[in-house]
Amino acid sequence: MSEKQYYIPDGTYWPIIGSIGISILLIGFANQMHGVSWGSSAMVLGFAITIFMLFGWLGQVVNESVNGQYNQQVDRSFRWGMSWFIFSEVMFFAAFFGALFYARTLSVPWLGGADNNVFTPDLWNGFSATWQQIAFTTPGTTLQSGTAISIPTKLVEATGLPALNTILLLLSGVTLTFAHHALRSSKRNQIIGWLVATIALGVAFLGFQVLEYGHAYADGLKLTSGIYGSTFYMLTGFHGFHVTLGVIMLTVILFRVQKGHFDADNHFAFEGVAWYWHFVDVVWLGLFVFVYWV
Amino acid sequence: MSSVIIIVIIVGILLALGSGLLGLLRGGSGGSDKMFRSLVIRVALSLFLFGVLMLSGYMGWIEPNIVVMDATVAK
Repeated sequence: MSEKQYYIPDGTYWPIIGSIGISILLIGFANQMHGVSWGSSAMVLGFAITIFMLFGWLGQVVNESVNGQYNQQVDRSFRWGMSWFIFSEVMFFAAFFGALFYARTLSVPWLGGADNNVFTPDLWNGFSATWQQIAFTTPGTTLQSGTAISIPTKLVEATGLPALNTILLLLSGVTLTFAHHALRSSKRNQIIGWLVATIALGVAFLGFQVLEYGHAYADGLKLTSGIYGSTFYMLTGFHGFHVTLGVIMLTVILFRVQKGHFDADNHFAFEGVAWYWHFVDVVWLGLFVFVYWV
Repeated sequence: MSSVIIIVIIVGILLALGSGLLGLLRGGSGGSDKMFRSLVIRVALSLFLFGVLMLSGYMGWIEPNIVVMDATVAK
């Protein structure tokens, strides 16, 4: 296609199908939270429609790309789209890391009487501003407000599973870099081998994360376990969700490599997914340092 | 001291990742080279950070996670 012409895609039904799918998913979710009987079925239906839309729409984009309908202008607009997506991702995780920092460094010490005590009302007997919050009362206590909360009986440790998971993700960064190098050198079998290794490491990470959640839950650490439990599960949970998406995207890239969709000079989809994976890896490093270690 | 080193490495990792993103956005062979180089640095720094963390923990230079902020509570 000529560089002077801007590619305008044909009319398509995918956006409206996506809107319908996501709407049904959210309506189902809201009703499920209110205990309505059809809530969870609607969620499943909405989710299925959304997945159908993703495969259909992205499949169409892949076909258009493979058929040579895209030029440099379209390439630039893909790169801009990626930049806004990444911007939203950075802001998303910055908000949760910010919440962790605020609670850990400012609000919890204030509640414990730090600074000039101005923020410290009389809380309940036995409260002490600790991090992680396990020591401030006995397990299974009900607060004065009547809220039953789950107080963990053990600390989340940095060594063991989290350290193992860090090694797995770091290695996946290494294997992905080898795949990237192989792609730039047009060695298809090597790309496939390194990509499979990256995906396997990602899946292993997820498996160990499930195991880690099992341990934490058994020790009484839940979303309701005060600010540590909330920030712990929000950060690690959303990170795990991103790893899941990354594994799915890498798998799609693997199939596309097998079909010969990329060459050494033209592989934006691979670059986008690779950068995303490196980003998710760095987020985990941040989690490992700030949630588990210090 | 060890925490300063850790923070410096984290900042280095973020800069390398950011530089990789700029390469990705620029595109073309120049951008592609820049992205790849930056990501190699990012991976190397991350492995180094993990080593420093584990060594610091083992040597007792940094203490994992538990902070007792209230002086009246015994550690």
